[in-house]
Amino acid sequence: MSSEPIERRVSYLGDRLKAVRCRICGKEYFEIRDYCGNCGRKSYGKMDGIDLFYDKGKLDVCTLVNEPTNRFTKLQSFIYAIVSFHGGKIRVPGRLTDQILKNGETSDLSELEGREVIPRFRRRNAVSQSDVIPTISLAFSLADEYYPHQDYTIIQPSKEYDSAGIVGYGFYTSRFRIKENGLERAVPFIDEDAVTASVEAGKLALIHSGVDSQLVGKVYVGTESNPYAVKPIASKVAQVLKLGKEEGDMQSVDAVDTEFACKAATSMFKDAASLVNYPKSGVQYAMVIGADNSQAAPRGCPGGELDLFVGYGGAAYLFGKQDVIAEIEAWYSCTSDTPDFWRRDSEPYPMHGGRFTGDPAYFKHVRKATSTLMEQQGLKASDLDYFVAHQPNPAFPVKVAKELGFKPDQYEISLQVNKFGNTYSGCSPVGLAAVLDVAKPNERILITSYGSGAGSDSYLLRTTDQILVKRRRQKVNVKYQAENPFIEYVDYSTYRRLKTGM
Amino acid sequence: MQNRPAIVAVGRTKFGEHYGKEPEKLIEEAWLAASQESGLERKALEACYMSDCFLPITNKLGLEEGFLSELTELHVPMEVTRSVSAALLTACHAIQSGAYSTVLVGGIEKMTDRWDKIRDDLMLLEDPWSYYAGGTPEVNHELMLRAYAKKYGIEGENLQKLNLALAEVAVKNHAHALKNEYAQFQRKITIEHVLSAREQAHKPLALYDFAPISDGASALILTNDTKAKAFTDKPIYVLGCASATDYLNFPGRADLTHFIATRIAMKNAMKMAAIDLDDIQIAELYDQSTVMEMVTMEDLGFCEEGTAWQCIRGKCEEYDGFYEVKDRKIHVNTNGGLKADGNPLGATGGAQLFEVFRQLRGEAGPRQIGPAKQPPKYGCTQEFEGFGTKSYTTVLGRE
Repeated sequence: MSSEPIERRVSYLGDRLKAVRCRICGKEYFEIRDYCGNCGRKSYGKMDGIDLFYDKGKLDVCTLVNEPTNRFTKLQSFIYAIVSFHGGKIRVPGRLTDQILKNGETSDLSELEGREVIPRFRRRNAVSQSDVIPTISLAFSLADEYYPHQDYTIIQPSKEYDSAGIVGYGFYTSRFRIKENGLERAVPFIDEDAVTASVEAGKLALIHSGVDSQLVGKVYVGTESNPYAVKPIASKVAQVLKLGKEEGDMQSVDAVDTEFACKAATSMFKDAASLVNYPKSGVQYAMVIGADNSQAAPRGCPGGELDLFVGYGGAAYLFGKQDVIAEIEAWYSCTSDTPDFWRRDSEPYPMHGGRFTGDPAYFKHVRKATSTLMEQQGLKASDLDYFVAHQPNPAFPVKVAKELGFKPDQYEISLQVNKFGNTYSGCSPVGLAAVLDVAKPNERILITSYGSGAGSDSYLLRTTDQILVKRRRQKVNVKYQAENPFIEYVDYSTYRRLKTGM
Repeated sequence: MQNRPAIVAVGRTKFGEHYGKEPEKLIEEAWLAASQESGLERKALEACYMSDCFLPITNKLGLEEGFLSELTELHVPMEVTRSVSAALLTACHAIQSGAYSTVLVGGIEKMTDRWDKIRDDLMLLEDPWSYYAGGTPEVNHELMLRAYAKKYGIEGENLQKLNLALAEVAVKNHAHALKNEYAQFQRKITIEHVLSAREQAHKPLALYDFAPISDGASALILTNDTKAKAFTDKPIYVLGCASATDYLNFPGRADLTHFIATRIAMKNAMKMAAIDLDDIQIAELYDQSTVMEMVTMEDLGFCEEGTAWQCIRGKCEEYDGFYEVKDRKIHVNTNGGLKADGNPLGATGGAQLFEVFRQLRGEAGPRQIGPAKQPPKYGCTQEFEGFGTKSYTTVLGRE
């Protein structure tokens, strides 16, 4: 049922909140129309597309839903509202997301009315396991809480670099956390998953880079928690973020999902950089996203030991040659067939190889990739400003960094696993984002990812002056999300409920 | 007016849960009652106008017209609409045009067979975008109430009065239903019931503010003024009938506090009827919620904008069940309304017409309004499809 054309249309319109404005009378319409109802035939061809996706709305009136319709029952109770844009020219229905209403809680509705809200791309409602997962952006969060409004302004680049590098990045995780054993871990809200995190991270990367999304020619999405065994996330990301030129209901972009445990994203950094560097590719910018709602069986079940470390979140990196914030100087990758972590097809949760996961897997590959790259480049640990390692738990990256001769002030800033948990494909990219958030121009960063199965990618990066210019555009950085006063902590059972999703 | 449409007989089933009855049994019961009353021969029917909303997904797949044909052994033209008011409007046009002189109008619904999915169905029908955003069949009523209070600056003590007035609407309608043998809920409720349900649900509107889901059927025989006297001494004439339409998407409408479709439809129906609004003594409104009744009283023109709640408050404490506007009594939903009589979507309008028909003929028994032997002269009905997306108004009179 849900792969019907009507579902496709609803997603196409609702994911991006497509709207139009009549050039003659100024009336605005949610959905796409060729004519204005007021102006009729003469308005044909004069309906301009307007974007609500990066806009903010106002919550006009709201009510509490505590007996939802069947497909929304997993949300339990929520605030449902009428949201207006552009001073009431467009009004849409929506629900407030990212809120856990305690049972029987009477919210003060008038407290919410009149406040600014931001459309969020989320799962729309529950469907059966075999159905297409519906999504929508008629979910809103309060602009003065965890996730503030940020303008997306396209900025003409000022400088062309010789080789490709990072031109923008974004990291996103939810406002919910679980705190256990001194470790904080991010927990998705019930309507979030790897797809929604990918879109959010990509959105933040576009905002940060100031790059026109039309110029992005390729997007790679690396994840190991794609809710589909067959169907890409990248297609959704491309469509919602309008990557590549929009032509009818299609985007002129190449979109692909990649898979290699936790290095599915970092592995593509070099591909993205090479692609934009290749003169005949015609690709000006390429985006790489690593995002996961990291899977783990419940505690006490086989594979349940992972449940102590898994997190949620994603990071997106945009590669290009103009206004680069960090140039890629060199890279090295290594691979061996080491089955330290796996999930068989149709199994819900991954298994991992116990102590096998340490020395013969993580340490062997991270050590090899890092030291080889440093050798090739003739670098000592002390020649680098920062070292970022994949961080499946708080202990591994510290141990390997010390072994490789790095000092705490070189690697500590990158350690984010104790704040967000192991975000799998997003894990080392989050560490890198934390470094880029604070790095000064002309500093050298070495990042080494690790993916079970197994392999590592090491990259040597050098920051540029641009890093300071672009930093001002990004409010929602790693620190902002780690130390946000609106973080909400949940208990173990809520964490499992939210993580399992709609 | 030539070929003035006249209702000569009405029939209906009890509304409520008809667990053991097939839809055929329900419509059979309603239309047999109507034809019995008028002494109509089945073969005299020239066409049928029926309505239902959910029959094809709840009980009967396929063309409802076919199953009606089997039931009546008639092969006349039949059309299916979504509400009895829509069926009546179409039938009136046919009578007026002279195409037919005697037709059957009716409706049927069996919602309880789909009890576990009906709220999703209702909301998808009402407004898909609101459904996708998480809306329930109740939310638009609640949002309208909030928007209403905001627009008219009703707060503090007045807001409490408004909420109390809405509770009184529910109490009034239940009180009326006590005297209606066909009503779904023949049960007295008190203000306390309404208020405590709201408190338990942490909501401004709750269980007793909303109409239930129901099964039921209704039917009437429509003919023209020339033929009417052959069936009955007391035909009730359709003086005016009209409908109007509004956006499907409630948030997108210009006014969140009223139903523009009702205003337009009533204006047109009254123009057609050429009577004074003050002459209408009884109105059957589509009170899917208590708020809807209140707002509709304003949209029909009985109360000033933003004041209907004041007309209800204090006037219904005796449960005579009327609104008082400028010292004039308007009896509203004397059958119990959708709230207590029941709301089988496709048949609801028939029950509204049934009630006004009986009242105007002085046959409403214990519910009869007005002094004995002097029944009201004019009455009206108002019915919605969706949440104000389509509004139908019908003005009826004894002459």
